[in-house]
Amino acid sequence: MHKVKFYGIGGQGAVTAAKILSIAVSLHQNEYAITVPAYGHERRGAPVFAHIIVDDKPVLLNCYVYEPDIVVVFDENLIDMGVNVGEGCTEDTVLVINSGNEEMIQRYKDTYGFKKVYACNATEAAMKNIGLNIPNSAMLGALAHSGVVEIEAVISAVTESFGKVGEKNGKAAKYAYEHTREA
Amino acid sequence: MGIKMFDGNGAAVEAIRLARPGVIAAYPITPQSSIAEHLADAVAEGAIKAEYIRVESEHSAMSISIGAQLTGVRVATATASVGLALMHEVCGVAAGCRVPIVMPVVNRSLVAPWSLWCDHSDTMAERDTGWLQFYASTVQEILDLQLCAYRISEHEDVMIPSMVCFDGFYLSHSMQRVDTPSDEEAWDFVKPYVKKNMYLDTKDVMFINDLCPTVEHTEMKYQQMMGFQSAAQVSDEIFEEYEKRFGRKLQQVEAYRLEDAEVAVVTIGSMSGTGKYVVEQLREKGIKAGLLRICMFRPFPDRKIHEALKNIPVIGVIDRSCGLGGAQGPVCSEVKAAMYGESSKIYGYIGGIAGRDISDGSFRKIFNELLKIKDGKADTVSTWFDVEENAMNIREVETNANV
Repeated sequence: MHKVKFYGIGGQGAVTAAKILSIAVSLHQNEYAITVPAYGHERRGAPVFAHIIVDDKPVLLNCYVYEPDIVVVFDENLIDMGVNVGEGCTEDTVLVINSGNEEMIQRYKDTYGFKKVYACNATEAAMKNIGLNIPNSAMLGALAHSGVVEIEAVISAVTESFGKVGEKNGKAAKYAYEHTREA
Repeated sequence: MGIKMFDGNGAAVEAIRLARPGVIAAYPITPQSSIAEHLADAVAEGAIKAEYIRVESEHSAMSISIGAQLTGVRVATATASVGLALMHEVCGVAAGCRVPIVMPVVNRSLVAPWSLWCDHSDTMAERDTGWLQFYASTVQEILDLQLCAYRISEHEDVMIPSMVCFDGFYLSHSMQRVDTPSDEEAWDFVKPYVKKNMYLDTKDVMFINDLCPTVEHTEMKYQQMMGFQSAAQVSDEIFEEYEKRFGRKLQQVEAYRLEDAEVAVVTIGSMSGTGKYVVEQLREKGIKAGLLRICMFRPFPDRKIHEALKNIPVIGVIDRSCGLGGAQGPVCSEVKAAMYGESSKIYGYIGGIAGRDISDGSFRKIFNELLKIKDGKADTVSTWFDVEENAMNIREVETNANV
């Protein structure tokens, strides 16, 4: 069982990404997932959370994730917005972060004690491939490094979920996957 | 049949599409909104061949639904929270006129304070309106229950509308795999809508919902009561047929590891899976824990509940609505009534209000309390199991501070 928590900002598509992750593991890996979004008042700019549990058998748990195996940060500024992305984490918790800023990544490591970190400038990946500052597909590409989902499954799920812009989003995911590094 | 991906609202829309409604009237409200939106899309794209009537309120949505279904077509509508509260008056009309509408209700807290998030205060407030009520625990079950609800509601011995209730966000926005029947398979099961007894036809006029004198009113209510009695039997038959056709078991109540249980919880809705998870954890430690999930709340399956729980010494019943002023929360009151005459100790719990998470930790706490009761180490439980200790200080205002 993998327990994953997404942290984002309203408008970045974190809740949609959680749904697409569920599609990726369910349809393309023959696994199971539940997703519980915890948004505020559905406005842009407010912190948004999504909780995802993935397993190779049907998932009984249907509640928030309190002790995540993987934390995904869609916006590096969350550390300065009063959001504690280290909540419930241990030193085994993997961080996947949208950042190309070394200093920022180091702050996340120092503040929360993350040992294993995958960093990707998903915003750049989204701008380059989709032309929009919506990093969700790119972050799913980066997330594939954590082992919870295969990159092929991500690309398939993203491509089929976004209709006309599906292919561009698929490219963003692939680009991000290829430009993710262990920090 | 095939695996498709739906969130809870998507599963409800798919079930509606499979039942081929002729008229749709829905007013969007969080967390139901995507049902109203996707139904509109489906009509615009021709996936549902229905008249979509835009309405200015839920009161109108239900009023139009009643009128339309009386002309002999299946209708679709859906709501949540205060939208359901605004429908309250007309929900009674649908029930009393025996119009077997099937309506998804996405559970969300009632005012005040305002909340967008899940609890059962909306549908529990409607529990005696004369509607059948089913509570789903997974996204799959939303589709399954809704398809069955058409058959149960429209059965000539029942003729009672149904609310298919599911938890806001926990199910409405959770994307899950759903084994979905093909259009033909579903239609073969649901079958075309046939109007019965009362109808609206300009060539054969009839007065419906007129002022009913005392000499007949009690009898009309008696007929509704008999419909509910039939619904208990009919739903068992329909669930059995559904399982034969589609391989998925539906039950009015689901007993989970109760056979030798010494402590058990009674759950309803999306919390149930988390409860089962904790039951498994406790069983691994050798603790005889079990769970009873109520899926059908109206008619209340009292005899089935009695049968399932009668040998269990200590039971906790979890209500996801406050039951303000009641002896217990609504689920617990009914379970206690069903268990009358048994020596089981039954404790009511209230929590998960307005989206507060009912976690595996919540269930561990509840089971720990019940186990202490069983071992004679305690004689009370926390009841409001997730309330903060400083509850009485929240938003406290010093009197006359500004005078």
